[in-house]
Amino acid sequence: MNDASARRLPESAPGRVYVWELPVRVTHWAIFLSVVVLCVTGTYIGRPFSAGGATTDRFVMGIMKVVHFYAAIVFDVALAARIGWMFFGNRYACWDQFIPLTRERWRGFVKTTKFYCFLRHSFPETIGLNPMLGLLFVGIFALELLMAATGFALYSVLAPIGSPMRVFRFLVPILGGLQDARWTHHVGMWLLITLVLAHIIAVVVISVAQRSDMIGSIFSGYKLIVDRQDGERDNG
Amino acid sequence: MTEQGWLERELKAHGVSRREFVKFCATMAAILALPQTVAENLAEAIEKADKPTLIWLEFQDCAGNTESFLRASRPTVAEIILEKVSLDYHETVMAAAGHQAEAALSKTVKDYAGKYIAMVEGSIPTGADGAYCTIGGKSALQIAREVCGAAAATVAVGTCAAFGGIPAARPNPTGAVAVGDAVPGIKNLINLSACPANAENITALLVYYLTMKQWPPLDQYRRPLFAYGKLIHDNCERRAYFDAGQYVEAWGDEAHRHGRCLYKLGCKGPVTFQNCPVIQWNQGTNWPIGCGHPCLGCAEPNFWDRMTPFYRHLEGVPGFGLGSNVDRVGIGLAAGVAGAFAIHGVARVVSARRAARADGEKPEGESQ
Ligand code: HEM
Ligand code: HEM
Ligand code: SF4
Ligand code: SF4
Repeated sequence: MNDASARRLPESAPGRVYVWELPVRVTHWAIFLSVVVLCVTGTYIGRPFSAGGATTDRFVMGIMKVVHFYAAIVFDVALAARIGWMFFGNRYACWDQFIPLTRERWRGFVKTTKFYCFLRHSFPETIGLNPMLGLLFVGIFALELLMAATGFALYSVLAPIGSPMRVFRFLVPILGGLQDARWTHHVGMWLLITLVLAHIIAVVVISVAQRSDMIGSIFSGYKLIVDRQDGERDNG
Repeated sequence: MTEQGWLERELKAHGVSRREFVKFCATMAAILALPQTVAENLAEAIEKADKPTLIWLEFQDCAGNTESFLRASRPTVAEIILEKVSLDYHETVMAAAGHQAEAALSKTVKDYAGKYIAMVEGSIPTGADGAYCTIGGKSALQIAREVCGAAAATVAVGTCAAFGGIPAARPNPTGAVAVGDAVPGIKNLINLSACPANAENITALLVYYLTMKQWPPLDQYRRPLFAYGKLIHDNCERRAYFDAGQYVEAWGDEAHRHGRCLYKLGCKGPVTFQNCPVIQWNQGTNWPIGCGHPCLGCAEPNFWDRMTPFYRHLEGVPGFGLGSNVDRVGIGLAAGVAGAFAIHGVARVVSARRAARADGEKPEGESQ
């Protein structure tokens, strides 16, 4: 992923900051691809269409489930790696970027909120995560963890005897039984799709508004710092 | 409790042949997942077993478990073990009535304290100080605490006793609870859930106890693993259709007549643990899915709230109605939020650009 766009400018060029390290980018796209596969196969599992032909020639549900489970492995490993990286990665990958806890992040949050509420015109500059979208990612990570928890609970009763996955049966009563876990897993998919669509639209809008090549950043890792006088221009 | 040879005598008295008895033992060995070679030993062990003292209590119930048990079409060995021999107190089948019966009950509880087995059918109402269910002036709650509290073990027969069942379903007007929740410090509780509990499983549980002198391994809801260790779905005769992706779409359609998978009619087999597909009902006559009806999940906790609507895969979304379609609500939500973000985003960019132009500046994002 360290493609040509990353090398367009020398790394030391003014205005270029290395934000998204390789583990962040790899896990981002691994999660994206696995979530697409999980949504497609999951939708079939929850609402299958009937296959024609001879029963012995067909294995549609069987294949959908196997693909769902392999995609789930990719998803879970990538999610665990990304969450782990929140504690080992650079400052932009750190867990505290997602919640406006520090004064600096809070000021950024207020400015961004004002921008989105049409109370200021210039897009406030932040080098790492947009502090307001950070909250969107909190929601996304929470839903991803919910999908993993409900998925593990559902899988724990399918796992063969001797499989370590059976320990996750302890989750079943916590989630209100298997049928409720199924419902939560299914509804969680729609909530995740909703937030991911919001995320994609938000980054497209910001890319256009800010001209910071934000979309490119999640491929190359680099962001352009476009507006260094942000504080002085703060007319909001 | 020591009355060896009781079973042999009873079997003879009822004209049950040795052959029939061994066959019964083979069935029990199968249900308990013991190897068939054990069946012969089982026969010996049952013959040598002590006569257990049983007290069968009925609370907020429909007597469906008793019915299911008594209506057994070949009520020979099992009936003898449970009904004829062992029950010291059973409201539906005992001969005594009124104060006489209640006196017998308290005598058994006193004489056999810590030794008898309490079998409970029905849930226990806790509302209005237990006034919703009283027997001989005592509330179900009092009786349960007295009788189950001094029992060697309590078997909750049926989903109402095991998990509260239908009486405990929303809005639970009587404050009904499961036996396990009504009796603090209950010892050796075993939940035989299902609506009703399968007579074969009741018998198998008692045979296990008589012969092994201990209770079988239980799952996280205290149900015996021999009966609740596998999903309905994993033993279902229609499973090949599930994996192939061939489903009944509507009652009585071509696929239904061909006996295909009932998943889309709301079958709860994939989320329900019980051995129905293996032991079936009414002495192996058939079982719900075998005759074309989806599993309702009757053996799972709170099935009346959780498994409904019975004929749909999933419940709807609260606020949109029980029967609302999760996917339709989901698509609406996703499209609505995405649309709002898109419209807001475009408006935001356009208005920022316009403001920048009005200021005589370059648009946002480029250096000023
Ligand atoms: C973003 C991630 C995921 C999405 C969108 C997703 C989506 C779905 C959907 C829609 C269903 C059908 C539910 C129903 O109506 O019955 C399903 C079923 C299932 N999913 Fe996922 N899933 C995800 C992650 C996972 C994970 C991480 C696991 C973990 C192993 C998992 C395991 C399962 C299992 C075991 C089932 C039930 C299959 C069955 O009923 O036989 N899923 N998934
Ligand atoms: C399942 C789908 C997706 C999920 C769960 C997701 C999640 C995330 C998360 C959590 C981040 C924060 C960085 C990190 O911690 O990894 C992020 C950043 C980003 N994502 Fe996604 N994403 C998804 C799909 C997409 C897609 C399809 C695009 C392409 C348009 C995209 C573009 C970006 C960009 C440009 C950033 C950087 C944002 C910034 O610099 O503030 N994402 N995404
Ligand atoms: S009928 Fe029910 S239990 Fe049987 S395979 Fe289909 S979904 Fe599973
Ligand atoms: S098939 Fe399902 S609903 Fe029917 S008795 Fe068995 S567990 Fe209960």
